[in-house]
Amino acid sequence: MRITHLLVVLAPCLLCACIGGSNGTATSTVPPTPTVNTLAVVVDAGPAGVGAINRPYVTVKVCVPGSTTCANIDHVLVDTGSWGLRLVRSVLTAGGVTLTPSTDAQGQTIQECAAFSGGQTWGPVAPADVTLAGEVAAKVPVQVLDDTNTSPKPPSTSVCVTSGSVHNAVPELGANGILGVGVFAQDCGMACVNAAPALDNYYGCTAAGVCTAENIALAGQVTNPVALFAADNNGIIIDLPGLQNPNGDATVQGQILFGLATQTDNALPATGLTVLGADANGDFTATYNGGTTVLPALIDSGSDDYAFADPSMQPCPSTTQWVGYYCPPSGLQNVSAVNTGVGPHNATNTVQFAIADPNISFVATATAFINLGGGQGSTRFTWGMPFFYGRKVYIGIEKKTSGSLTGPFYAY
Amino acid sequence: MTLHRVKWVSLALAFGMTSWCVAPARAALGGDAASVASDADALHGAIHTTPLQQYDIHEITADNGMRLREFQTRSGVVFAVVWSGPAMPDLQKLLGTSYQAYTTAVAAANHSGLKHPLRVATSDLVVESEGHMRAYSGRAYLPALIPAGMSAADLR
Repeated sequence: MRITHLLVVLAPCLLCACIGGSNGTATSTVPPTPTVNTLAVVVDAGPAGVGAINRPYVTVKVCVPGSTTCANIDHVLVDTGSWGLRLVRSVLTAGGVTLTPSTDAQGQTIQECAAFSGGQTWGPVAPADVTLAGEVAAKVPVQVLDDTNTSPKPPSTSVCVTSGSVHNAVPELGANGILGVGVFAQDCGMACVNAAPALDNYYGCTAAGVCTAENIALAGQVTNPVALFAADNNGIIIDLPGLQNPNGDATVQGQILFGLATQTDNALPATGLTVLGADANGDFTATYNGGTTVLPALIDSGSDDYAFADPSMQPCPSTTQWVGYYCPPSGLQNVSAVNTGVGPHNATNTVQFAIADPNISFVATATAFINLGGGQGSTRFTWGMPFFYGRKVYIGIEKKTSGSLTGPFYAY
Repeated sequence: MTLHRVKWVSLALAFGMTSWCVAPARAALGGDAASVASDADALHGAIHTTPLQQYDIHEITADNGMRLREFQTRSGVVFAVVWSGPAMPDLQKLLGTSYQAYTTAVAAANHSGLKHPLRVATSDLVVESEGHMRAYSGRAYLPALIPAGMSAADLR
């Protein structure tokens, strides 16, 4: 079985240095080869015209279930702060892939209003065969983002209508899709299985296009593909190098490794690993810069900055492109936060970091910045992309064991 | 969430659950007590009211995990709404007469992003929304109506 995977994977996996030595002609005399579990990650400007910063992208292979009708979708955002794969419909269509929406017991199509911190995505849930490196998640529910406005519409009370901040199209997303590979398997979980009334999340929509909120069983919810891999399904490692220039690099190349302590390349270090257990929301806790306020916290590769409230730190002028971020007048301000895990994995660890004034310091043409902060008014602490540069970050999926550890957890 | 509760719990008078059956379709922010009942009705939630010296806090909790805290002045106007839960609330209903100002500000904001906390702050209205899947939180308030001696930081 693993040999079969290898053969399938060799052609598209041009970036996988881990294949070195194989000539792609596996025979019965060759010992079993581990599934290729490394996927290239690149931080660059994103899809044409986007001008992204601090966004880690991968290429995802998505197929109509059980078929060879597939597309390789590049520039899909790696997001450890969400769960499940979402792909822009027009990008799928351009790749020749049309996914058929899931239906509920009444035959209604299932659509989703998936909310993120600052906006939402809307569109149908559909099963797809998803391949990441050599790992396959068969018939995994994904969300197709309705940038073509051809799906049934959410009801007027849904936040997907009332927020005014739906992001279904590539320019708004800054990506061709979002790959949610955080600590949970499903995006909503039990809260969407038996809620009364059903949450503003999943909808059943009639052929006439009338959508009503409804509960969806876990197996039907948009699902983190990693959790459905045949093996290497207990978590991931995101491994990015440090920046060469602290004021910004043009691009960064690293990798995701699938599985924790399942292969020789994804072992957990015997010492020095800080393991932060997460609660039912996927959060551990943090205190900022010597403060006593305990904040829910997560490590979120989909956020482009360190996001936290510091009323004493100067926000960037609204007239500049960096509005919404911090612009400390000192040029570079050193700060820290203390992370503490929740539950059995209750390590405490202090992280020093720095916030720079992007208008003064940052290389204009770069796409990767480490000293970027924002989040005025936040009541949370978010370790966004800057945290990943120069670290290996381990994500352990809920209810799955990795060596002596049990998810959900974050580690570094 | 627990932390936010500590302060008001320590101040709170002992009040029992109050059930409301009238549900006029009026909005919360800028609205009156009836609008609180309307919000509770929409969520199939129960209201627990904590009267304080300068304002009342109506806490609405629903079995589906949604939670609203609505702050009402002594003169009866809801000046702040704080939410948390596994989904987002109906912003149009919660923002009431301020909804138009919100949508205008969101449309004008050039820093809105899917993964950035949403923040609208004018002299008349502040809306902050953040969180992630399974755990959303936010608040909306009318700065001009915050009672003397109270700060925005108390609106949690």
